[in-house]
Amino acid sequence: MTEKPGQELLTVEIARPRPYRWSTGKYLGRLYKEAMENKRLVTNRCPKCKELLWPPQAVCGRCKVEAGEDWVAMSDKGTVIQYTYLVFPLWDPHYGEKLANPHPTATIKLDGGVYMVHFLEEKDPQKLKEGMRVQAVWKEKQEERGRGLGDILYFRTIEE
Amino acid sequence: MANRVAIVGVGQTYHRSTRRDVNQQEMVGEAVRAALADAQLSAKDIEAVFTSNMETFEGIYLPDHLMVDEVAAFGKPGLKVCTGGTSGASVVAEGFHFVAAGLFDLALVIGFEKQDTGDTTAAITASVTPVWGKGVATGAIGEFAKQALTYMQRSGAKEEHACMVRLKADRGACRNPYAHLRLGLKSVEEIMKSGYLVWPLRLLDFCPQSCGACALVFASEEKARKMTNKPVWIADLITVHQEPFRAGSFGDPTGLETYTQEVAAEKLYKRNGITNPRRDICMAEIYEPSNWEEMSLYEHFHFCEKNEGWKLVEKGITEIEGEFPVNPSGGVIATNPIGATPTIRVAEAALQIRGDAGEHQVTRDVHTAVATALGGPNWTVMTLLKRSL
Amino acid sequence: MTDRVEKLRDLDVFIYHGKVDIPDTYSAGTVGSRFLIEIRDNKRIMGTRCPACKRVYVPARSVCKDCFGRMDEWVEVGDKGTLLTYTVVHVPTSVQLKEPPVAYGIVQLDGADTGLVHLLGEVDPDQLQVGMKMQAVFAEERVGSILDIKYFKPAA
Repeated sequence: MTEKPGQELLTVEIARPRPYRWSTGKYLGRLYKEAMENKRLVTNRCPKCKELLWPPQAVCGRCKVEAGEDWVAMSDKGTVIQYTYLVFPLWDPHYGEKLANPHPTATIKLDGGVYMVHFLEEKDPQKLKEGMRVQAVWKEKQEERGRGLGDILYFRTIEE
Repeated sequence: MANRVAIVGVGQTYHRSTRRDVNQQEMVGEAVRAALADAQLSAKDIEAVFTSNMETFEGIYLPDHLMVDEVAAFGKPGLKVCTGGTSGASVVAEGFHFVAAGLFDLALVIGFEKQDTGDTTAAITASVTPVWGKGVATGAIGEFAKQALTYMQRSGAKEEHACMVRLKADRGACRNPYAHLRLGLKSVEEIMKSGYLVWPLRLLDFCPQSCGACALVFASEEKARKMTNKPVWIADLITVHQEPFRAGSFGDPTGLETYTQEVAAEKLYKRNGITNPRRDICMAEIYEPSNWEEMSLYEHFHFCEKNEGWKLVEKGITEIEGEFPVNPSGGVIATNPIGATPTIRVAEAALQIRGDAGEHQVTRDVHTAVATALGGPNWTVMTLLKRSL
Repeated sequence: MTDRVEKLRDLDVFIYHGKVDIPDTYSAGTVGSRFLIEIRDNKRIMGTRCPACKRVYVPARSVCKDCFGRMDEWVEVGDKGTLLTYTVVHVPTSVQLKEPPVAYGIVQLDGADTGLVHLLGEVDPDQLQVGMKMQAVFAEERVGSILDIKYFKPAA
């Protein structure tokens, strides 16, 4: 189990992006539509446990029942539960380059009670803290929306 | 009632960041040969071959097809499993179920990953669905970074405690010839000086990307008793899944949701009469991607009370010489060939029970051990091993 | 932005067109490297022979599927062989190496017991026949890739 030094060892490099077409389906589609047309976050509620499902989906995994069409609009305000920021740039497979976005990422608990991982506008680590209140900043142009939660640029710190 | 299943052979490769001297299947073959030699079997004796790997991590698709010759699978049945971080434990479950069902008497169970091929963090990022838009791109590292922050604030643990976990891991790894990172770390300061990767995780706080493989030979009770006087019995095995996005990807940041680790541990302990895990189990090999996560997992597996994981570290309880050793092999933070990582946990726990762990054999006698696996989004597999049933 | 979103006309369903772009670096390994280097440096196609069943594998590999033994004996199989089967691709895809029509075949080199998949060239696809003798055409500039053999053409 030792490597023999000296022999030339070859590698083959393949950098070929793999395209895909991904369908939201009906339930996520509703979230996408509301975000795109109304800058609004919606999800559906389980008819049995009455909890909000997130993201919207056809089945409540816990109750194992059809989730149905009990739709709820949620506030786009929330509280930062956890956050982190990249110090070392990582490869972003969606763009095929090192991650260029300088914004910290955070787990945000929306006031509706569901969790979302998204960016924070605030880049100064000194000003980040758990429990800070934030609100979504939406992309202004409708033609740039249509990407679900990607229609939100980041979450901005708010005073209440 | 299911048949009893024993581990009768253990083999692993050494681990490195790159293995240009072998292709993927040749690397896996090294572990297979080692396991067959350990079990004193030949390839022809094996009836079925089960493999695990996260093929998107290295971009080698259908690897199980490519490696038929190297893993003694030609003309034989078997399956590959791919369940994220838990793959290498899911394959243990798969082999266990087939042999327990009486379908095979001798089966090979193999985990592997050759991470010099692709970019694992990028692949994990790619697995985030477009639901979240694009670019919330920190792979698994960002999730564990956030969790470290929460653990720090919730439990009162200091960065020094995380460094002590890292030092413990390195002491184990330096005694384990198969480990990847064997750094000879001496002080807390050394770790504090390593740069931030994803705040608050430093480079030395997180697991490496390793190339390596681990193979186990499973035998039915009848075969096992004939073959060896040191069978290691799979006493029980449990898998618990969680739906995605309930909270964090690798656990709940709020402390309000139940972790799958807790559900798995409580069920496993209950059905095996374990009332005091640190007394009834002798040691553990757990899947800890970061030093912070290790302390947090102590609590989820009920090795201690809530917010006291760091105290076990402070008291040296989980050291190789301690009362309840955890990851004497150096663990995941020293060696992480993803598809093989949970298989190595089982292998290392089995070696401890056999007394064959060599330099990193723990001081206390080990008759019962637990091996755990973790994967996104917060799935858990636990395997309970015993010297006698 | 390279991504694109399309909304289905009659349904509130969106189709997201994205890509996964992760460069991969494959290891040829010790045996695979020697196989490729022999072609690159010496225009020589080599196989490995199983010590037990005597089968010769091309491309060279390290283990015999039947005997599970290491194969350390290297055998030159020459650049000529027999076309076992072939196909002609008429539809372009993102992963094709060439514009269609592209002919692929499996060539069993003289002295080998296995087939080698490769491109076929210098031949009208209509003239291809199973069983015909083929010959490797090497690239002028060779870099240590299986494409150092440009393609197989009908042997003179």
